[in-house]
Amino acid sequence: MSSISQNAPGKTVLLMGNEAIARGALEAGVKVCAAYPGNPSSEIIGTLAKVAEEMALHVEWSVNEKVALEVAAAASFAGLRGLCAMKQNGLNVASDFLLNLNLSGSRGGLVLVVADDPAGVSSSNEEDSRIFAKLGDLPLLEPANFQEAKEMTKSAFEISEQLGLPVLIRSVTRVSHARGNVCLDELPQSSPKPRFENSQRFLALPAVTNHRILHEKLNRAKQMAEQSPFNFYRGPEKPELMVITSGSGWMYSLEALINLNVQERVGVLKLGTTWPLPESFVIEHLKKADRILFIEEVDPFLENNVKEIYAQSCLVLGLKAFFGKASKHIPDVGDLNPEIVTHAIQNLIQVSYEPRPAVYAMRAHEATAELVPARALGFCAGCPHRATYWAVKIALALDGRDGVVLGDIGCYSLGLGPSGFGQMRTLHAMGSGTGLACGLGQLSRFGLEQPVIAVCGDSTFYHAAMPALANAYYNGANFLLLLLDNSATAMTGFQPHPGTGSTATGKEAPVIDLKAICEVFGAHVEVVDPFDVAATVETFLRLLQEEKGVKVLILKRECALVSAKHQKRLYQVEVEEERCLGETCGCNRLCTRIFKCPGLMWDKGAGKARIDEAICTGCGVCTEICPASAIRKEKA
Amino acid sequence: METGEKVNKGLKALEEKVFGNDQCTACGACLSLCPYLRSWKGRVVKLDDCNLEEGRCFAYCPRTEVDLDEVYQRIFGKNYEEIEIGPFKRIVMARAKNPLFTKKAQTGGVVSSLIDFALREGMIQSGILTPRDGDLLPQGKIITGRKAVLGCAGSSYVSGPTLEALNRGPWKGQERIGIVGLPCQVLALARMKNSTLEKKTPIDRVDLVIGLFCTWALDYKPFMAFLKQRIGNRSIKKLNITPPPERILEVLAGGEHYQIPVDDIRSFIRPSCRVCLDMTSELSDLSIGTVEGKEGWNTVIIRTAMGENLLKQAKKAGVIETRTLPKDHLNHLKEASILKKRRALDALNEKGGIEKNYFTLSADLIKRILSESEGIRP
Repeated sequence: MSSISQNAPGKTVLLMGNEAIARGALEAGVKVCAAYPGNPSSEIIGTLAKVAEEMALHVEWSVNEKVALEVAAAASFAGLRGLCAMKQNGLNVASDFLLNLNLSGSRGGLVLVVADDPAGVSSSNEEDSRIFAKLGDLPLLEPANFQEAKEMTKSAFEISEQLGLPVLIRSVTRVSHARGNVCLDELPQSSPKPRFENSQRFLALPAVTNHRILHEKLNRAKQMAEQSPFNFYRGPEKPELMVITSGSGWMYSLEALINLNVQERVGVLKLGTTWPLPESFVIEHLKKADRILFIEEVDPFLENNVKEIYAQSCLVLGLKAFFGKASKHIPDVGDLNPEIVTHAIQNLIQVSYEPRPAVYAMRAHEATAELVPARALGFCAGCPHRATYWAVKIALALDGRDGVVLGDIGCYSLGLGPSGFGQMRTLHAMGSGTGLACGLGQLSRFGLEQPVIAVCGDSTFYHAAMPALANAYYNGANFLLLLLDNSATAMTGFQPHPGTGSTATGKEAPVIDLKAICEVFGAHVEVVDPFDVAATVETFLRLLQEEKGVKVLILKRECALVSAKHQKRLYQVEVEEERCLGETCGCNRLCTRIFKCPGLMWDKGAGKARIDEAICTGCGVCTEICPASAIRKEKA
Repeated sequence: METGEKVNKGLKALEEKVFGNDQCTACGACLSLCPYLRSWKGRVVKLDDCNLEEGRCFAYCPRTEVDLDEVYQRIFGKNYEEIEIGPFKRIVMARAKNPLFTKKAQTGGVVSSLIDFALREGMIQSGILTPRDGDLLPQGKIITGRKAVLGCAGSSYVSGPTLEALNRGPWKGQERIGIVGLPCQVLALARMKNSTLEKKTPIDRVDLVIGLFCTWALDYKPFMAFLKQRIGNRSIKKLNITPPPERILEVLAGGEHYQIPVDDIRSFIRPSCRVCLDMTSELSDLSIGTVEGKEGWNTVIIRTAMGENLLKQAKKAGVIETRTLPKDHLNHLKEASILKKRRALDALNEKGGIEKNYFTLSADLIKRILSESEGIRP
């Protein structure tokens, strides 16, 4: 039994934030869970998928976030509790539905967890999704620790049912991906039978009427927030400075106060229901201090909304000084950490503080350097994408027309860096590479002479590129789509998708054939194995010369990390030392200087290339690129 | 360079001076030596940076720092000083006797029949020639038999990386090699022979170099795009340019004859041809071209003992017949050759001065070329 499915009330377990959210949903009796994977949210549904059978849940990886939210909402319409999870970019995809769902309302508890990625550690942006709660007049909760992550999720289902509205939970990387103690509650034993009551309708229309009803619901949400246990104050009755914070900012603030030893001088107002804000509760606490500092990731959401409340009541509250992102005391981009918060507080209350000496960081780095080998941000050893971009690089250079590669979201986004030989020129949203190609692929009539190439992974293709491909054929765009089919949603942890033949819960599923889809969409489709570099270059170049229409080249080769789990390495690879040209004219370290697979090493002393046995996956691609045929492969 | 900083003589410099200046002749001397250069559709392309301070790509290139005296010393044992058509022993006009060669030939079939003869006599075991396929894409090929030789007969007026075949092989390791090339390729071969860098190529087994006459060559890709517009997708059987004054490109394709004024294709001439000093492949054993106004005859310039020996034996074996080249034809050849040198110097002057150039040429020789080309009607 996994730690999140055990029915052990009162037991304390160590859970990742995302697991705590999943456990909260289980304690709330969730029945339907859907998501499209995306860091830092992936483990929520991933965890639930593992206990789906045992807990009698429907858990699915949907093709995209909008569909995932629709799946969860449908459960709610039928009276069941539904959970949907996504990353911040995913909310943009789901937002079209969400901003109508708010008007139609919901029935069974419906919770949408959005895990934000401040600093964009594994994202293309660092958007603050909280603005959607305000935009959509939806209740928003922000957990500040692991216990709260569980409790809030549970509570969110209750609030949702009381209001007949979906409730948003906003997590961030440092809450979702950190671990802490969580005390478990009971798991429900019974579950309602689903039924869609035809007496009830879920319609966004009429918009104005429903908008008014929505505002009434939001008003009730505000009343509920006034009493919420997730909002509280800790500190002296008359603090010199009051920190207002939420989410990850809570822990950072506590640590900062300890660092500075000013717990008696500075208070912290911790808010958990951050939309709608508990107005009276906030006003009461604003009376405590004249100097207020906001600590939050990423945008000044609390900062602006609290100031709005203050503006309404300033005659009562008197003069206040607000500090935060607007005053530049807190950076307005990137993530926060205890250091940043410590410095901000120190600046505001004039307290001496001996920051951690710089030498400490150096020593820590030295101590860990031996344990963690330096690794550039790039593709894994044996990754088919490296081979693909290698072919792209060669083919585009040979073609000589300065072809443009439009990027997309996935592991292959790393194609913008050295590991993809800097080939990618754009990177935006899921499917945008193909969409942009639809536009760039129309410009030849105005004199654009460059070939247009879009890259797209298999999972991304099902998610968002299919409409773009249909558009391309319909409107007569000219481009070549490189469909990098590694049979996995690899970037987020190898979740299955409609092309993999299995579901989130490991059940067998029909395979939706990429080649067949592309052909139906009118494309000329060819399939190559990117490990066959010469054939890939040849096919790519040939397709590039075709002037009209949409061409799709499927580069089919399973993700190296997935292959490693179920098959033996393909080849035993070795460097024949006498043949290796090393740094001399004729090679100049092509394999370790340009190709740079982590499985290859440069032996400086010997002036020869070597295979790192521990890392090499035996894909054999380097044997094809070695100009001296010094790298040899043998069937393993 | 008093700073002691090393001047780059590798790919970096090649890229800057040759590719960046549109001076590549696509001879192929730099190809298949390393993974950084490759050709496609007649163009040499750099795939990645190479930071070596010196490289064979730069050392072999006919458009980088050519010390003319050094290479002429190597081939002829004397400096570059014969400014008309280069050093030679004698000049004849010749044609093949076997109709197999004359039928397929551009003019007299002498090149094909000499290579065929050298192969059959065991003077060489392999030839490197440029097959003349229907798509005209020029690339070098190692050939060992008559059928393959015949597949290389005829001109396409397009230059391509013939010399890559020498670097790429595959070679057994013992074979003596004969190469037919354009003046830029013949110069590159002389530079390869002369290079002090570690060679790793069979250049020292190249015993026979037959150089072709060349006034310019076309860039494959734009020329083919042009031809496609004019004649569609027909496979091209033969190309021929008629002598002045009409200067017409005759194309035989898909059973039809097309006539294209040469002026229409001038824009596809490689810029690197405009600065070329050499019309007659001066650094070869035998230089062979047409005799204008004598249909079916080749001009053959015999330059070395090897060339003399091959021609003599071929004649003795009845493979070719020779005649004395009439004096006015010889004069015309010399005039055309020196005019090419003159045009190259003019082109270099336009580009920013003869002194900023790819070859060393004394002020005295420059003066001689300018004065001797004066008054010749082009």
